[in-house]
Parts: sequence; C-alpha cells; structure tokens
Amino acid sequence: MQRALNSQVKKANRQHKLNRLHRLVAHHEPVLQTGACVATGFADIDAYLSAHAGGGLPCGGLHEVAAGSAADMAAALGFAHRLAARFLHHAAEDDVLLYGQTHAACRDGGQPYGPALAAHGLSSQKLVYLDGVTLPDLLWAGEQALSCASVACSLLASSDSAPDFTHSRRLSLAARNAERPLILALGSTGASAATTRWRIAALPHNGWHVTLEKLRLAYDMPPPTGGWAVYSHHIDAQAQKHDTHIMPLMRRAV
Amino acid sequence: MSAPLPPKPQEPLLTGRRIIALWFPHWAAETSRADYDVTQPFALIDMHKNAQRLVALNGAACKAGLYPAMTLPDARALLPDVQTAMADPQDAATRLQKCAYWLQRYTPWIGEDTPLETSDGLTYYGLLLDISGCAHLFGGERALLEDMAARLATYRDGRSITLRAAIAGSIGAAWGLARFAPSDLTVVPEGQDAEAVLPLPPAALRLSPPHIDLCQRLGLDTVTELARFPRADLTRRFGPTPVLRLEQALGQAGESLNPYLPPPQFQAHKNLPQGVTQIEALAALIGELCAALAAQLQQAGQGAQRLDLALTRSDNAVMALSLPLAHPSADAAHMLRLFEERLTRLSGGLDAGFGIEQLRLAAARTAEIVTPQEHISLSGRLRKAAPMAALGELYDRLVSRLGANVVVRPVPHASYIPERAVRFASVLEAQQSGDDVSSIIDPATRPLFMLCAPEPIEVIAEIPEGAPYRFRWRRVLHEVTAAYGPERIAPEWWDGLVGDGQGASVGHNRRTRDYYRVEDMQGHRFWLYRDGLYERESDKPRWFMHGVFP
Repeated sequence: MQRALNSQVKKANRQHKLNRLHRLVAHHEPVLQTGACVATGFADIDAYLSAHAGGGLPCGGLHEVAAGSAADMAAALGFAHRLAARFLHHAAEDDVLLYGQTHAACRDGGQPYGPALAAHGLSSQKLVYLDGVTLPDLLWAGEQALSCASVACSLLASSDSAPDFTHSRRLSLAARNAERPLILALGSTGASAATTRWRIAALPHNGWHVTLEKLRLAYDMPPPTGGWAVYSHHIDAQAQKHDTHIMPLMRRAV
Repeated sequence: MSAPLPPKPQEPLLTGRRIIALWFPHWAAETSRADYDVTQPFALIDMHKNAQRLVALNGAACKAGLYPAMTLPDARALLPDVQTAMADPQDAATRLQKCAYWLQRYTPWIGEDTPLETSDGLTYYGLLLDISGCAHLFGGERALLEDMAARLATYRDGRSITLRAAIAGSIGAAWGLARFAPSDLTVVPEGQDAEAVLPLPPAALRLSPPHIDLCQRLGLDTVTELARFPRADLTRRFGPTPVLRLEQALGQAGESLNPYLPPPQFQAHKNLPQGVTQIEALAALIGELCAALAAQLQQAGQGAQRLDLALTRSDNAVMALSLPLAHPSADAAHMLRLFEERLTRLSGGLDAGFGIEQLRLAAARTAEIVTPQEHISLSGRLRKAAPMAALGELYDRLVSRLGANVVVRPVPHASYIPERAVRFASVLEAQQSGDDVSSIIDPATRPLFMLCAPEPIEVIAEIPEGAPYRFRWRRVLHEVTAAYGPERIAPEWWDGLVGDGQGASVGHNRRTRDYYRVEDMQGHRFWLYRDGLYERESDKPRWFMHGVFP
C-alpha cells in the first residue's frame, strides 16, 4: 500500500518536473504553429489534423515519411509525393519541387518516371531531380533548397540510413525559419526533430495504411490514433473511370 | 643554269608580328608515365596493321638508329634491350594542352600547331605562340627562348623535354625553322624570314608527303629552287596548297593563328611572392579575384556563364577548375561560394605541392545580364528578387558540388517504349518543354518509380501467355493477388533498320512486351513484363521487373 503510494508520488513528481521543463523549453522556443497549413486530401486524416494541429500540415516544418518495412519504401515515397504535390499546389506558379535520392534509394527504388507524375498531381516541368548522391550531400542539398525561395518543397529519400538527431534538428529549424516544407522519406528511422512523422505500409486493394507517429506542434501530446487505411489511390480512381480493360483479370481469394 | 629569281609578287608584310614555333621531337616518349631509364633507348609502341611498331622514341633511341614507324621486331633485331611501353596518344595530347596552359606565362595567345597529314598515322607535337610585344618582358627574344628551354629541361624527376624552337615573323617560317634549322633555338631578325627559309628543304614548307616526294623526284632540294619557278607553273604542277604554304613561309601571304585557348575578355590574375598552400588563404585570394572579375563584368553589363580558375604551382604544374553557371552572374559572393564549395570538396585531392604561386580567374563564356524591372506594388514594397536568378544560383551551388549529370530534370519524349518516354537533361541546359506525351500514355498506367534497368525475375504463370501467378524478385517470393493487363508494347518498326543488322534484331530490346500491373498479397504493386510473345517470338519468354507503383 505504502509502496504503491510512493510510486504514485514519484510519478506525479516526475510529471511535474517534465511539465516544468517543457514550459521552460517552450519559453525559449515557441513551437506553436502560426504559418500556413495544407490539407492532405484524405478526409479522416484532415479531420484529425484540423482538430489537433491547427488546420493541417504546417508548411514550415520537417516531415518524415517512414516505410513500415523495407518493401514499403515505394508506398512511403508515394505518400511523400502526395504531400509534396499538396505543398506545391499551395505555392506559387513557377516554383519547383526538388526531389533527391541517395545512391541506395536509386538502386532499390528506381528513378521518378516523368509520364506518371501527372497522375500524382505533379508535373515533370516542375521537378528537379538529384540522381543519386551521398546522404550528407542530400541533406546539404535540402538545406540549400530551403534557402531558395523558388523551391516550393524538397523531398529527400534515403532507403538505408537516416540522418542523426543533430542533422534532423538543423533541417527542422531551417525549414521552420524558411516557412517551407522539407519531406524526408526514410527506409529506417532514428531520433529525429521532425514536426510530423508518418509511417506508411502498403495495403491490398490499392491502399495505404497511414500511421501518424509523431505530431510535434506543441508540447501537449495529441491523442494517439490507430492509423488510417486510405484507398483513394489513383489506380482505383482510374479503374472506375476507365473501361473494363483496366479491371483486374484475376483476383485471388486471400 | 642559274636563272635569276623572278620578282617577288609582293613585299613581305612587315606586321611586327613575332611567332614562336615549338617542336617537341620526343614529346610522347619523354612525358610518358612509364618508368624507364632516361639514359637508355626507350620507345612507345602501338599496333598498326596487326604489327607492333614504334611510334615515339627518346633521344637515346634515335641516336641508336631507331626511327618512328619501325616495326618492333626490326627494332629488337637492332637493339635487343630497347625499353618499350604502350603509347597513349590521348594522354600525350592532354599533357600538351597542360603545357600550353603553362606557356601562358610567356604569352596569352597560344595556338594549335598546323595538323600535318602523315601517311603512317604518326602524331607530331608542336605549339605556336604569338609573342608580339611580350619578349621584352623576358629580356629579349633569345633570352625568352633560352628561359623556356631551360625550364623544360628540368621537366620532372630528372627527365627533360627536348625542345626545338624558332622565332620568326610568320607562322610558316617559324614552323620550318623549328624543324629544319641547323641549331635548336633560332631567332630570325625582323623582316629576314625569306632569307632564313630559302636554304631549307621543301619539307620545311608543311607539305604533305606526296608533295615532298614530288619535290624529290624533280630534284628540288631547297626552298630556293622551288621558289625559282613562276607561281602559276607551281600551282599547275602541285595544286594550290604548296604555293600558299610557300608564300606563307616567305611572309607574302597572311595566316591566322588558331588559338588553343582564346584569350578571355574578362580575367583577373594574381602573382604571389611566395607559394600558398592553405586552402583558407587560397579562398581569400580567390575572393579578391572574384571581386575584381565581377567589377569588370558589371561594368560591361555582362554575366559569366563559365568560370575558369587556373592555379599554377611553384613546380609549374597548372591545376584548372572549371565552373559552369546556370544563369549569367556577376555576383562576386556567389562565385566565391561556388569555388569554396569546390575547394572544400578537393581538400583531400588538392595537391598544392610547395605552394601555389599564380592564380588566374577568367570568365570563359559570358552573356548579357538582363536585369528585370523591379515591380513596385501598391503598398510600395519591392517584390522579392527575381525568382529565376535565385533558382539559377541554387542550381549553380548544387551542380558545383554534386556534378552536372546529377542535378537533372526530366524531359518527356513521345515514345511508347517506356524507357524512351523520358530522358534526364542537366539543369544547366535551357529548359525544354519536351513532347506532349499525355495523348499517347495514360499516366495512371505507369509506375511512379522506374527501375534504372529492367531486372530479370522468375515467374510462374497459370498459362504460359497469361498473367503471372507468383514471382521471385530480389530473392523475395511474391504471391500475385490481382493483375491488370496485358498492355502490349511492340518495338518501334524502324528500330534495327539503321545500323547493326541481323545480330541486334534478336537482341533484348527488339521484342514485343506484355506489361502487367500486379499486386501481391501484402499490397505492394509492381509493373512487370514478359519479353517476347509466347511461341511466336520466343519459346521461353523471360520476365522482367520494370517499375514499382507507390
């Protein structure tokens, strides 16, 4: 009995200390979002974001999109491209998207394919692509892009290694100061200072399972979610629009 | 039979022009990277008509009686222990270009040597320098030549470069004298070109081998005997070129020097009293040069499109850095940032040796800077800087660190063949809109990510010409749950008509492909194809993975 009470007191003390620290840090670094926001285009996710994140994904911030497993890297990149398209839509007419990949990401996942970009709300005219660089170079390029007003959004993909906390924090601060988004698509994750972190896994029937692992806009934690299964994927939309030759020839019972 | 010289058609042109012709008789052998004993005969060899032959010799080998174009067995019969190495003409030409860079210490105007037709495909290495008005800086023409010869004599590691050179008023005279004059270094006083050239053999006139043969058969041993004939007769017998060459050598016809490195219009340079080895100090010096160059450019309303920086080490090696710019720029801070980026990348590779003594920065290509009019909005605020310039500076920084072939943008191309429907072009190239592919390709049927090359996969299909049932890609087995397709893409009919014939037509690229979009049990989506129509083009069609859908 006494023991349980002690542990409760300890817990309360710790919580109190944490809260005080949070207030202290928040005093020095107000992280409350004030800049522009965009919607993801998925109704469920947008409802959650508008309830807990002040309207949507903040433009000025570092967003991480992580793959659920190594095989889900394509799905993660697809989601990242979708976010990039939303940010690009929000920006000025002539602004470009910088998409950079590490050597490993190029080798594993291939290069962006121009003719398919239109189906994802992007245009090959607006894409500047870095075809295979090292991770330090990739992060450097991201920071350079943040300093250029004509880059609406940068998307950096690394399938094997992730930037460490120092680099992540540096990019996060740079993105917040520039009020422009930086999206990292990662095959593996570590400690990071990202504003949001999403984890994407592929779902059968042209879907993604989207989990919001982290939403760091203020120090009070938003309620956890169980993730969302989204199916507004382009293939289904196209299949409904088109005639039967796109319909599956065969579908096995799973 | 001593007919008097016919009257000269015109007086020699007294242009005040002074030309040095350099000839390096043993260039390829003496600058070769091969390790050999310089005091012993050494020869570079190549394969010519299925035989090994000598193409370049050092001085000792020439003295021993070897000659270029001799076959290797002949040479070995004469001199069993001759040292040999394979020739690398490209490398020798690169080193000649480096030498031309270095020779800029004497004059900015360095010309390519007249390419000479040779019947046996041998290359001769020479350079032409226009030193009009430069010689007094080195204490006169002879002093200049001797200085040059002395510096080349200490080329590196105890090796020296044999030099034959002549200074004359015309390219033709200097060229002939460098090769056929009795002494190694010849200086012809101004206006006496003709007198110096006349006693030389006709080969000194840069004639082609058939013409030299013809001169020999006619018994014409010197230029004097050739010049004796009326020019019309000579033209009838030899054609127009030898007559032109004769007049050029005698200074009666003009000739322009084709510059190797055209002297740039905008340049800044700095000579240091002592060599600098530290990158930080170099960066500060480069900053000064950038500021000087930017001031020149701004005054002329021009912007640099390519910057060339040449760093001369105290041992006369020249390191060149070239920077292409996406948009013409006259911004010193921007230029310096690009060079700093390049220098920090070089930090392992920048070998300053005993120090860098001379820096030269030039704007190799320039264009007019069009300054857009700034818009003043109603609120009176100036709009942000022109976005194109900002983007151009970003491209410059990316290209300077990552390379021009890495920073690219896709250019669509109207083709049904998936890998030809797009190509990547450097951002430094002007943006092209490319072809409109939306009419022939439905974007939704194409994967967002295309593998760099199709990867072979193992496929089990229910029926041979049907969709895959399961497949193994990168050692992982995928169970297909849904397949869309096939989308049949036949090779372009004109493919294989041009160029290689039978052998290539059965190659990998020339078959009809059936593309399927498939989804596996975990929900991953792929784009794969069967290469070749079953039982029509191939009995055992192979399958390839070509792209992934997100």
